[in-house]
Amino acid sequence: MALKDFLPQMYRCSSCANCKFIPFDKVQSARFSENCPSICYFSFHSYAARGRYQLAKALVEERLEFTDNIVDVIHNCTSCGACDVACKVCRYNLDVLDHNLELKAYAVEKGHAYPRQKEMIGSLKSEQTMIPGMKKKDRAGWADGLKAKDLSKEKAEVAFFAGCKYSYDPELQKIARADLELLLKCGVDAGLLGAADNCCAGRAYQMGFFDDFRDRAEKNIRAFEAAGVKTIVTPCSDCYHAFKRLYAKLGMDIKVMHFVEYLESLINDGRIKFTKQLPMTVTYHDPCHLGRLGEPYIPWEGKDKKILNQVLVYEPRKPRYNGAYGIYDAPRNILRSIPGLRLAEMERIREYSWCCGAGGGISETNPDFSSWTAGERITEALSTGAEAIVTACPWCESNLRSSQAEDGRKLPVFDIAELVLKAL
Amino acid sequence: MKLSPEIYKEFEEIVGPRYISQDPGVLETYRCMPAQSSAHYGPYWDHMTPTPMAVILPGCTEEVQGIVRLCNKYKIKFKAGGSFWGAMAYIGSDYSIQLDMRRMRKIEIDVKNQLAIIDPYVNGAMLQSEAMKYGFSCNIPGVGCSSSIVASASGWGGVGPSTVCSGGHKENLCALEWVLPNGELLRTGTAGSGDGWFCGEGPGPSTRAFLTASMGVCGEMGVVTKMAMRLYPWPGPAVLPSTGTVPAYKAALPDNFRCYTVCFPSWDMWAKALTMCYDSDLVYLGHRQFNMFGRDLKGAMIRILTDPDKQLCDLEELLSDPEVKRQTEEMKLEFQIVLAGYTKRDMELKEAILQEILKECDAWLSSMMLEPDIENWALLYLIRLGHKNLNYVMCGSYEGNFGLNPNLWVSASYMEEAAAFKKQWEDTHTSIVKNGGDSEMGSFSFTGGGGAVGWEFFVDFDAYDKDSVTGACDFIDETEKWMAERHLGGDMGRSNKYLRQPNGYDWPQEKHNELFSKVPQPHVFAYQWKVREAINPNLLGGSYYRTLDPEMIPENKR
Ligand SMILES: Cc1cc2nc3c(=O)[nH]c(=O)nc-3n(C[C@H](O)[C@H](O)[C@H](O)COP(=O)(O)OP(=O)(O)OC[C@H]3O[C@@H](n4cnc5c(N)ncnc54)[C@H](O)[C@@H]3O)c2cc1C
Ligand code: SF4
Ligand code: SF4
Repeated sequence: MALKDFLPQMYRCSSCANCKFIPFDKVQSARFSENCPSICYFSFHSYAARGRYQLAKALVEERLEFTDNIVDVIHNCTSCGACDVACKVCRYNLDVLDHNLELKAYAVEKGHAYPRQKEMIGSLKSEQTMIPGMKKKDRAGWADGLKAKDLSKEKAEVAFFAGCKYSYDPELQKIARADLELLLKCGVDAGLLGAADNCCAGRAYQMGFFDDFRDRAEKNIRAFEAAGVKTIVTPCSDCYHAFKRLYAKLGMDIKVMHFVEYLESLINDGRIKFTKQLPMTVTYHDPCHLGRLGEPYIPWEGKDKKILNQVLVYEPRKPRYNGAYGIYDAPRNILRSIPGLRLAEMERIREYSWCCGAGGGISETNPDFSSWTAGERITEALSTGAEAIVTACPWCESNLRSSQAEDGRKLPVFDIAELVLKAL
Repeated sequence: MKLSPEIYKEFEEIVGPRYISQDPGVLETYRCMPAQSSAHYGPYWDHMTPTPMAVILPGCTEEVQGIVRLCNKYKIKFKAGGSFWGAMAYIGSDYSIQLDMRRMRKIEIDVKNQLAIIDPYVNGAMLQSEAMKYGFSCNIPGVGCSSSIVASASGWGGVGPSTVCSGGHKENLCALEWVLPNGELLRTGTAGSGDGWFCGEGPGPSTRAFLTASMGVCGEMGVVTKMAMRLYPWPGPAVLPSTGTVPAYKAALPDNFRCYTVCFPSWDMWAKALTMCYDSDLVYLGHRQFNMFGRDLKGAMIRILTDPDKQLCDLEELLSDPEVKRQTEEMKLEFQIVLAGYTKRDMELKEAILQEILKECDAWLSSMMLEPDIENWALLYLIRLGHKNLNYVMCGSYEGNFGLNPNLWVSASYMEEAAAFKKQWEDTHTSIVKNGGDSEMGSFSFTGGGGAVGWEFFVDFDAYDKDSVTGACDFIDETEKWMAERHLGGDMGRSNKYLRQPNGYDWPQEKHNELFSKVPQPHVFAYQWKVREAINPNLLGGSYYRTLDPEMIPENKR
């Protein structure tokens, strides 16, 4: 869809402001009632989904020219989709997040991208990673010495896909390593993709670089197919979303699982057994791209039509992505199964979780905004009395680790696999 | 039009560079389409409210005062907005700035005096969630919990399902702090004499009627910066329990809460039951809510909304389902009530009273609405009022019309005729949703204890479809005539037609003079003129404040 195809939605958005808040039925306090990092940080109406519709309408109707500020508004969105869930509590004919992304793509197409974004895309093209400065040749270094199969040479049940962040971040590499070791220890027939292991490019999509995303994705899909990959398991929620939703839309027919799903099945099968107590209280942060955006892709081709004079429906039934069936329970079940561990929930969880601030490439393009967003999450986590915050995405982990609460406090951040390993 | 760099700088010095903008992109997002949220004066295709010269976000009362003083210095019109849902929050003339109150959001619960002292951005959900921690709830207007309490109380109505029990915002309004349009700071009631916030009338100046009038002054008379709002008891848990799969959330509340859909054989019995509810102080919340989807569609719509896997495309199939048809027919004339027991005996008494009402009025309870998941969904819906954007679910826009408000019995006697009038339009025109004619929705009462009803018929149209917008507008013109022919007062869909022009701009004073000189009581508007002269000498508001030049009062009425 092009931006102009969203024009009907721009008219039909009812200006209700629900997209600025978590679903109202879930509000437990004024402090944690809001959902959109962008308007919370930048304050003007323009930054909320409603404002984005209005802005886009004026651009499409050619009443407005790009300014630097408009470019800022458009790109300073973490693509977290919280607005989308909130809007769809009542509306069945608006796709707010798709619109936000299309607006970014429109800006990019018109040449309005940040230099940093261009660097990221440049790096994607030259080194197949969106972390500028990193080299393709160093990508697999995190797995040195592990006895995993090389899928370019032999077949395996599972392709373990660490993703750029786990592959390159020296603080996080050990987690990817531990994940893979755990799989191997449990007897899982897992391997690595070797030369076919490249950036998923999900962030390019989240930043509105649709062509660059598609280009990389199509190459990756061909490489996965050539390697005979049957199941991809990834501990990165961004990669998970890219494969599960975006690649599936491009026709990829490979089973995709997040590491937490696999881990849960290993615990359920008795292949992972805990022997140690972990007497601590933790809270769990739902990564946007695993939770509300982690619903599987459902193919659809159709059109809208009106019934009963004016009621707007889709024919055939259009899949409705509203976060209802994201991955929320697997990580919680894992945490609950760890002896001695107590899970204290935050107010904003599951489909209405607050974003960590790293999405949409914001951790690269606007570190202050990104870090403030993570700080909000730490403040909320601290309010539960938890001693640590646990999550299942390297981008969230990195962002939460480097940020602090509004009162300056920090909180230990763990990947869920780290806690599992501690309790083995 | 732009602010001069010097004037911009002066505003910027008040709030800091982060909280002021004149970027065209930002300004564009502070405009309203009268094809979408006209709020009873449209809908009008292809217009927008004017572009403000700047948007400013004040962070405290002093900043608001500084901004208003500057506006007076340079004769710049201004308007404050909360959620910016309806057209009234947006400016109506070119040389104007928009204030967005979102930075002012403090809440203080005064448990002893059973009230909350709140800032302008505090909405119903924020306040209710904080109040519940202390065993209180707050009145939430029918617009829903996304709306600012201060905006609803000072700028507009403030009535909804809870009003019959809790009183409306205007009844609950205690002391307040108000930056007058001339830049002076006024604290009314006890806040004006340093005695706290518990009373709106004094000791201290009692001027709240200037601000609130009957429907509020729509942001045309300065900015309210703080307000004390009375709370009422909440006999439920400190956190509203909300379970279920999005969007079919539901509340699993203890046994002292029940939600019933009470159904009637006739409008007479319907009205009789309503008065019995008033007399017995029965209900915690009362509304004819789900009929907004229409007499023919409500059963199917409730099935959709309570099932996370259903969508609007399931409507046709559900409509042909004999069981859904039966259930919908069963609740053709109905209203929803929530009973809340403060003690076990209180709940038993309330249940017994309800049984008595059912007997007296030949009424029954909708079986479908008693299904546990549906009852719990309806409970959550009515208590939190968090799903009000469902007003727009069908095709993206609606306007409420008829507004049969004069008297319960008179209104009830016209209900079927109004429904038939609308149904005929639905059958002969494609501009509005065909939902069975009767799509009347409204709260039990505009005032605490009951009495004044407020009913509107939902006219759903597509804001993207010119024919639908203009057709909806034509229909409302027709219902306006229908109301006039029956001497039923103004049509609700046109109740604001003299407050803003179809093109989104303010009406000139001449138009107000022309209109308000002809009304039965022109003195009301001449008096408002005097109020405006006193506190708004530079005329920095717009035409949502109705005034008549006293010189224009007709001779025979002077
Ligand atoms: C879909 C819909 C349904 C509605 N249903 C009902 C209903 O059932 N009952 C009812 O009573 N009302 C109803 N209304 C009207 C509603 O109460 C008002 O629109 C309400 O005030 C909206 O609050 P808001 O936060 O959206 O305020 P806004 O739309 O932002 O502002 C509302 C008015 O208050 C003024 N205002 C805002 N802040 C201040 C301030 N700090 N000081 C002075 N003035 C201020 C604004 O200028 C504006 O005129 C409905 C409106 C809509 C759009
Ligand atoms: S995007 Fe959705 S939630 Fe936001 S204002 Fe529009 S209709 Fe309301
Ligand atoms: S995607 Fe997230 S950051 Fe972007 S507008 Fe929506 S809620 Fe805000």
